[in-house]
Amino acid sequence: MYPILFLSFSGLITLFLGFFQEGKWVKPATILFLAIASISAFIDWNKPGAYFFNMLQVNNFNLLLSLVILITAILIVAISDNFKEIEYAHSAEYYAIMQFSLVGAIMMTNFQSLIMLFLGVEILSVSMYVLTGTDKRNLRGNEAAIKYFLLGAFATGILLFGIAMIYGGVGAFEIDAISGTLASNQAQSLFLYIGLVMLLIGLLFKLAAAPFHFWTPDVYEGAPTIFTLFMATIVKTAVVFALYRILHQSFQNMHLSWSYILAGCIALSLIIGNLSAVKQISFKRMLAFSSISHAGFLLLGLLHVSKTADKSLLFYSVSYLLASTSAFGVLLALKNERTENGRSNENISVFKGLATRSPFLSAVLIISMLSLAGIPLTGGFWSKFYVLTDAANDQFFYLIVLALLLTAVGVYYYFKPIITVFEKSDIQEAITINPIFKIIFVLTTLGTLVLGLFPDLLYGMI
Amino acid sequence: MLQENTALIPDMIKQIPLVNYVLLASILFVIGIVGVLIRRNALIIFMSIELMLNAVNLLLVAFSAYNSDPNGQVFVFFIMAVAAAEVAVGLAIIVMIYRNIRSIDIGLLNKLRG
Amino acid sequence: MTDYIPQDYQPLLFQLVLALGFIIFTILITHVLGPRLKNAAKDAPFECGIESVGDARAPLAVRYFLIAILFVLFDVEIIFMYPWAVNFLKLGWFGFVEMLFFVTFLMAGFYYIIRKGVLNWEND
Repeated sequence: MYPILFLSFSGLITLFLGFFQEGKWVKPATILFLAIASISAFIDWNKPGAYFFNMLQVNNFNLLLSLVILITAILIVAISDNFKEIEYAHSAEYYAIMQFSLVGAIMMTNFQSLIMLFLGVEILSVSMYVLTGTDKRNLRGNEAAIKYFLLGAFATGILLFGIAMIYGGVGAFEIDAISGTLASNQAQSLFLYIGLVMLLIGLLFKLAAAPFHFWTPDVYEGAPTIFTLFMATIVKTAVVFALYRILHQSFQNMHLSWSYILAGCIALSLIIGNLSAVKQISFKRMLAFSSISHAGFLLLGLLHVSKTADKSLLFYSVSYLLASTSAFGVLLALKNERTENGRSNENISVFKGLATRSPFLSAVLIISMLSLAGIPLTGGFWSKFYVLTDAANDQFFYLIVLALLLTAVGVYYYFKPIITVFEKSDIQEAITINPIFKIIFVLTTLGTLVLGLFPDLLYGMI
Repeated sequence: MLQENTALIPDMIKQIPLVNYVLLASILFVIGIVGVLIRRNALIIFMSIELMLNAVNLLLVAFSAYNSDPNGQVFVFFIMAVAAAEVAVGLAIIVMIYRNIRSIDIGLLNKLRG
Repeated sequence: MTDYIPQDYQPLLFQLVLALGFIIFTILITHVLGPRLKNAAKDAPFECGIESVGDARAPLAVRYFLIAILFVLFDVEIIFMYPWAVNFLKLGWFGFVEMLFFVTFLMAGFYYIIRKGVLNWEND
């Protein structure tokens, strides 16, 4: 909970730092603040307890989640380029909003009371609405912002109705109280059922799982790439672990009711995500559909209440975070490649001839694609392996078969960028890479490979 | 249903059964949902979303009163504050779009297609 | 406390019908009684003075929207003061310090707005 307090203040400080020396200290300061926040998480290490009148729950696993989120944020801030591509950019505000949104993300992973869940979801979402629309003169950015905003606010309304119904059924907001009521009382009330379904709809919407995914491709494509990366990684991780806390720690006695809803969503997410990604030309749009299918895999890890579910989910999130950061990072490193209309080329064709122009970038891209596809020797393989092992029981056997079949489809579209890398291109000039980008790429790629070769380093540690 | 602790609830409130409040809130909520789904004007959609949030507020206050538990009413304060933040961001986005395309009909926003 | 039965709400219903009836009656009667005049000068937004120019729905300066948006934000934040104001003796110093934090955050935002020049009307 110290990261929450610290980031609330440091966000404000970052806002005012923008006034000094044209804001050139904002980015280093943000990285410093995030690093301090990560360290401050260790104050509570091995000291589990409740904070803020039993609103937040702190234990080692939750702290680990906060750390994962904060470290990903450091990587993302490091590869952000002071938003030079945005006209009239107020970079201090963007960095401040990113810090505030992390407060929301950490709240969502640590909440004990549903009030905190709601506040966390809203702090994260409202920040993301703003960040999506930062490119004010870009009509595609505008469209993405209004779509994300209207649909996101709609989902918030449904989520709230669910929370209110659960409150009606239980009489309290604490998730311990919910599990207590469910354990003591066999005849479950109608309010709880309605509440759970609506809460699930609201959260699945934020997770971008089908059938609540329709905003994802448009928003991912329209938002500035750096914020797309933020959405694909941090928002997804936070929502998955919020779902984990709700489904596994408070509604575990209603497993029979929610597992069928979840199974339907998983099947739809896997089918829609993988099949729609095949025909995409835009790289960002392809990654958007791939993120829908990854949402399906993450939910697969939630399907079965088991002791290892939290481990598998964390492993999946970490390997997905690393691979996504590499993939979007390569696109960011290539943002000077323009199409005819002067916009940054975000199609898969931008990678043409990358193998000769920059072998380093192509290696990073290839490894990240292999990891997202789930090829052995990368983190992506083990994450899929653990999630599928968790979900493997007789009841949902067909889902495992479906997931394996669609992974084969996934291999097809993840190989499209890889093949493009080796195609001949007219442009031969070498690409210069910012040294910070190099460090980040080395970190994420090494991380992916280490997770692939020695999965027990992370899986055994948790 | 709620375990209604009849001793704690004021007689005044008991006159109207809880289910009436739940029905009213649900009807308002559904009106909001229908508004979001069928209207094309961004501002009207926005108003419908506000209607949904306020239906939830009503529901929470009703549950809170019947449960003699103030937590629900505290939550309403949070919802109001967060809704205000959302209004601010939403209006800013709508004004931004109006300045660019001189309209707030969401049908005109079709630049992003797969 | 006395028991209320549905009949006790009759006056309320009566008042509601009366109010609605008055409104509908007034709207209808003005159409019947009022004289009708229709010509170009009558339909113009301004019947006298200089010729009107441009669209009546002239776009407002963005400044107005900014002020309106900021007003909504700062206006609603005040609701957190109501519970404190009602119970501030009971909450004691703890409540006071918490409220101080809250107001400090709010004022930090306010100061940021001033520094950004949002409330600056003269130079555009």
